[in-house]
Amino acid sequence: MRFAGFGGQGIISAGKITGKAAAIFDGKNAVMMQSYGPEARGGACNADLVISDEVIGYPRLERPDILVVMSQEAYEKYGHNINPSGTLLIDADLVVMDGSPLPVKRVYAIPATRLADGLGRKIVANVVMLGALVAITGIVSREAMLEAILSSVPPRTRELNERAYTTGYEKGKEALGADS
Amino acid sequence: MGERKLMRGNEVIAEAAIRAGCECYFAYPITPQAELLEHMARNMPRLGRTFVQAESEIGAINMLYGAAAAGVRAMTSSSSPGISLKQEGISYIAGSNLPAVIVNIMRGGPGLGDIAPAQGDYFQATKGGGHGDYRMIVLGPSTVPEAGELTILAFDLADKYRVPVMILADGMLGQMMEPVELPDPVDPATLPKKDWALTGAKGRDPNIILSFDLDPEVLKQMNLVLQEKYRKIEDNEARYEEYQTDDADIVIAAYGTVARIAKTVVRRARAEGIKLGLFRPITLWPFPYEPLRELASRVKTVLTVEMSAGQMWEDVRLAVAERAETPFYGEMGGVVTTPKKILSEVRKYAR
Repeated sequence: MRFAGFGGQGIISAGKITGKAAAIFDGKNAVMMQSYGPEARGGACNADLVISDEVIGYPRLERPDILVVMSQEAYEKYGHNINPSGTLLIDADLVVMDGSPLPVKRVYAIPATRLADGLGRKIVANVVMLGALVAITGIVSREAMLEAILSSVPPRTRELNERAYTTGYEKGKEALGADS
Repeated sequence: MGERKLMRGNEVIAEAAIRAGCECYFAYPITPQAELLEHMARNMPRLGRTFVQAESEIGAINMLYGAAAAGVRAMTSSSSPGISLKQEGISYIAGSNLPAVIVNIMRGGPGLGDIAPAQGDYFQATKGGGHGDYRMIVLGPSTVPEAGELTILAFDLADKYRVPVMILADGMLGQMMEPVELPDPVDPATLPKKDWALTGAKGRDPNIILSFDLDPEVLKQMNLVLQEKYRKIEDNEARYEEYQTDDADIVIAAYGTVARIAKTVVRRARAEGIKLGLFRPITLWPFPYEPLRELASRVKTVLTVEMSAGQMWEDVRLAVAERAETPFYGEMGGVVTTPKKILSEVRKYAR
């Protein structure tokens, strides 16, 4: 799976936390690679994650099964390169679909940044998105993701992050319900 | 064992060195190994150990030479162009019979090249990049956990034989995060004493560490001592992994990042009925010639895959000789090959 957005949105952190949830708390194999060097410049950034029950050979993504996109630039760069049977999560306010055909059937628009703003801190938009991600895809267990978040953020922000996570999880469930 | 953590290859090599009892680290920054230096900068001073960001790569390798002569476990790290600068110092360390660990997180070359992963420094590492008849033990990790294990092994082998040992990895392994469990730290004070080290000669005969003698007969003897040591290393330290080779018709020979990609290829090839296996040298010097020779007599094809124009390929051909066909497939310049591309190469040789 891939997280993509712009620098400062916590894209890399989201990748690391999900990797930790899978590898440490869910006991799976995981490899995380982030954008690096020239590709990391110009504001865009991404974090790629391979999660498997088996030993991971090829550590890069061929086509992500899950793509989480939090900026227009990232959508234009990566939107088309998703597994056609995959799942796309976008930030509802930061990615505008231009009306051209969607790359996949399962598209979920989560207003992560707006919800984070409602909690008082836009900075937790990535954690809201992690909640929605778990609710929609089940890529890691709900508990593993929570433990990974709480063990990664500064102690004084734990409560805020837990609220962000729960808010995102509920929004994700809601989006999933509307879809089925 | 410590707790399971998600860590980057560069950080794991640094942390494993600390846990192996590395007391001195000297380096000059270069991408893509910067996180290794950063981890050392954060942690060595905290432990009361020595971290020096040297004025240059040449400064760093000569500091390593000095620390090794003083008998402590010591390390330097860099990436391809920086490792080229260190070659003179490596030759001196080898010629002086000193243990030291050198990490090369390879990037695209030649020249300034780029900062993407490559394997173009195999010749330099395994055939002697500096002057004179010397060798280094060269270890090629293929996963992040193995990078930690081999770093600890590197310090042990360096001390055991009094030789420089190189960890030869690439930018992808350096940057990639994987879960690891590192062993508990070794207290440097508990390591075996080095009676040859330069520790101050008060109350004993002085120790002399030198790679120099103007008398050719004496220098010849010094060389013979080195060569005898190298034969012993060749006999005892070759390490390799075979993966699904028992019934294989075709075997990929690959090391490092390419070898882990090849494991994916083996699984996919077998799913379409091709009996493919993998031979992965873990020590690049000493190269595991004998086991590969033995394997080659049972298969039709040994396909070498590298992120270079074909460097390890020469050792593969030395080992295989005429026992099997030995084609090559490689990418250069920092381009990382994919399972798809390797598999389409494999199909060319499938019956």
